[in-house]
Amino acid sequence: MTTPGAGGGIAGLAAARLWAAARFPYLASGIFGARVVAAPGIGTVAVDPGWRLWADPELTANWTAAELGSVLVHHVCHLLREHGPRAGPAGVRPDEARTWIRSADAEINDDLVPAGLTLPGDPVLPQHLGCPSGQLAEQYFIAGRGRTADRGQPGTGHKNGAQSGGGGAGGELDCGSGADGFGRPWDSSQPAVLPPWQARLLQRLVAQQVLAAKQAGDVPAGLLRWAADLLTPKVDWRRALAAELRKAVADTAGAVDYSYRRPSRRAAAVGNVVLPALRRPVPEVAVVCDTSGSMSDDLLAASLAEVEGLLGALGLARSLRVLACDTAVGPARRVTSARQVELVGGGGTDMGAGIAAAAVLRPRPAVIVVLTDGYTPWPDSAPRGSKVVVGLLGDEAPDAPDWARAIRVPS
Amino acid sequence: MADGGRAARQRAAAEALGVAVAARVPVLLWGAPGTGKTSAIRAMARAMDWPCETVIASIREPSDFAGLPVVIGQDVRFAPPVWARRLAEAGHGLLFLDELSTAPPAVQAALLRVVLERVVGDLELPPNVAVVAAANPPEQAADGWDLSAPLANRLCHLPWDIDPLAVADGLAGGFPAPQVPALPERWEAEQHLALALVAAFLHARPALASAPPTDAASAGRGWPSPRTWEMAARLWAASGAAGVSGEARSALVVGSVGDGAGAEFLAWLMEMDLPDPEAVLADPSSFRLPKRADRAYAAVAAVAAVVEADPTPQRWQAGWQVLGLAANSAPDVAAVAARVLARCRPDGVALPAEVRLFAPVLRDAGLLHS
Repeated sequence: MTTPGAGGGIAGLAAARLWAAARFPYLASGIFGARVVAAPGIGTVAVDPGWRLWADPELTANWTAAELGSVLVHHVCHLLREHGPRAGPAGVRPDEARTWIRSADAEINDDLVPAGLTLPGDPVLPQHLGCPSGQLAEQYFIAGRGRTADRGQPGTGHKNGAQSGGGGAGGELDCGSGADGFGRPWDSSQPAVLPPWQARLLQRLVAQQVLAAKQAGDVPAGLLRWAADLLTPKVDWRRALAAELRKAVADTAGAVDYSYRRPSRRAAAVGNVVLPALRRPVPEVAVVCDTSGSMSDDLLAASLAEVEGLLGALGLARSLRVLACDTAVGPARRVTSARQVELVGGGGTDMGAGIAAAAVLRPRPAVIVVLTDGYTPWPDSAPRGSKVVVGLLGDEAPDAPDWARAIRVPS
Repeated sequence: MADGGRAARQRAAAEALGVAVAARVPVLLWGAPGTGKTSAIRAMARAMDWPCETVIASIREPSDFAGLPVVIGQDVRFAPPVWARRLAEAGHGLLFLDELSTAPPAVQAALLRVVLERVVGDLELPPNVAVVAAANPPEQAADGWDLSAPLANRLCHLPWDIDPLAVADGLAGGFPAPQVPALPERWEAEQHLALALVAAFLHARPALASAPPTDAASAGRGWPSPRTWEMAARLWAASGAAGVSGEARSALVVGSVGDGAGAEFLAWLMEMDLPDPEAVLADPSSFRLPKRADRAYAAVAAVAAVVEADPTPQRWQAGWQVLGLAANSAPDVAAVAARVLARCRPDGVALPAEVRLFAPVLRDAGLLHS
């Protein structure tokens, strides 16, 4: 019996897998997870989303163990980083698949080639795409698309240079449907080797092993970042902010909610039945913006626009008041658009002054949203009768106090 | 191909829905408005020939679920609405709560007992009433609320991600109804096994027994608690008895206890299938190499790791025997573990004969330095 994946008909596969598992031990589970299938005549080594590698034995015959092993690692990274499923959301059209694959290749190669990946031919690196290292395939793709559009010759961007999985003799190799999500003639009718849920488990297992190997110190930073992001997914701050704001507004206002505090107006008509009445206080919302020198205008504008959009969706846009605050507080302004907010401050910061100023506004705001970089003293407790939602802007913002709901907005 | 994953997810969600209904676990479908959640559920009820009561939660009052308080003499009775009476009289049926996420908080609170205990006002619905709900993600519904954490914790959450091709076929030829599998008699007994599995897992990972969500956005989905673990065990047993796909089973577990905890549990289950490395060392000839190469790697790597942790001469030699058995069918997999064993050779122990098995492949890989 041969172990599935030991690749009938691909010479030197065992040695190649051993080389790969020895060189990149933290990827070993993934390397052995892919099943290698000989596919004479396809002229490439390609991968499909079901964890199957299609290899043309004629092509790989002349490769060393290190070269074939590197191609294996490269393709497993396509699967681990989900380049196939990511192509659709990135807006890749079928005629742009080549550009996308080159972008995906650059995302993989930029830190694995320095770590010892020895692909046949010239592997695609970010500098070939005119980009700095360490970016995502989506970023490389947008840059690459712009360049081919400038030239007006779609396709020229990837004609020169060998590619991806590696090219013998300057030819172009196709990484397959696992890299761009578009089916290939050889794989479209095949059931997956790993059903999607097992593929997800394997992906998590590899991520855990990558993080566990961190101490050894030779794991490329890009791979560590991938593993950390996969295991502790970042919540989109827009979603988190929306949820907190909706909750704060709902808690304080009860928006359209029922209450037995007051009998229903229809109660008289139905005799012995106790009906609740509807209550719908319209909550007032105040936004305190940090305008001190340390703030980034872009982030502030982005988060303010997000707050404004949300309140609009909740039907509260008209009641929005905005205060600019550094150590002193500007007058409250009712605004109808984020563009109308002037950042007047500068100098030091004290958000406590801003919160205090918002709390004495009449009508009293039920929800106070504070947008700050966090470098500020805070009052000891929440203002009476108001809920506070803090948007912490920037990657290094210190924590907000416990009495406020905090959302981190990364730059 | 691009939509292959989506079509599979959609099929798995329909399968999972059927299992949840068969196991009488309350289930909630999440999907954008207009993606056929309602019609799928109604078609399922029709196919079973069960009565289906649709209640749109967002336009109801709390009293429709908690019972209408009626003053009769000295007492206040909580009168159940007529849809509950109809279900109680039929003895079985589908209670379909639509638009759950747009229901105001007071209504969601009133739903707590309905969803899990099937109690409406003073009336208890028969055990053969299955609760199914549908909701739009808050960011897609104009006036959506996030589901409250206690309500979310009573439901198995399934994503309803529509497959465009299925829509095209459905428009032409009608939408297929999700099948509710007939569970064999013995499935309730299998539930004890599933509960024991969950208990063993929680012994190993106690932090996952109860992890209430910390932010409002994730509070509205599945999260681990003793209740949802029990739900997951029930669904695991039912889905095993019904023989549905692994994709559907994993959707049910993840839908009950949430993404992270669910994936940890599934991974732990797969690890349970691997041979115990200490038992293998005690009797190397009993070792059977798993067929899938990554599982084979996990098995031999585990053996090498326990030897490395305590390399007595006897364990070290037993380790080589195991690798010798693996070397025939998977020389590369075994060779990775052989490199680990070679590093921890106890003093004064002669190299075993198995070492030579790995020389060719190590040389081919350029890893043998003479």
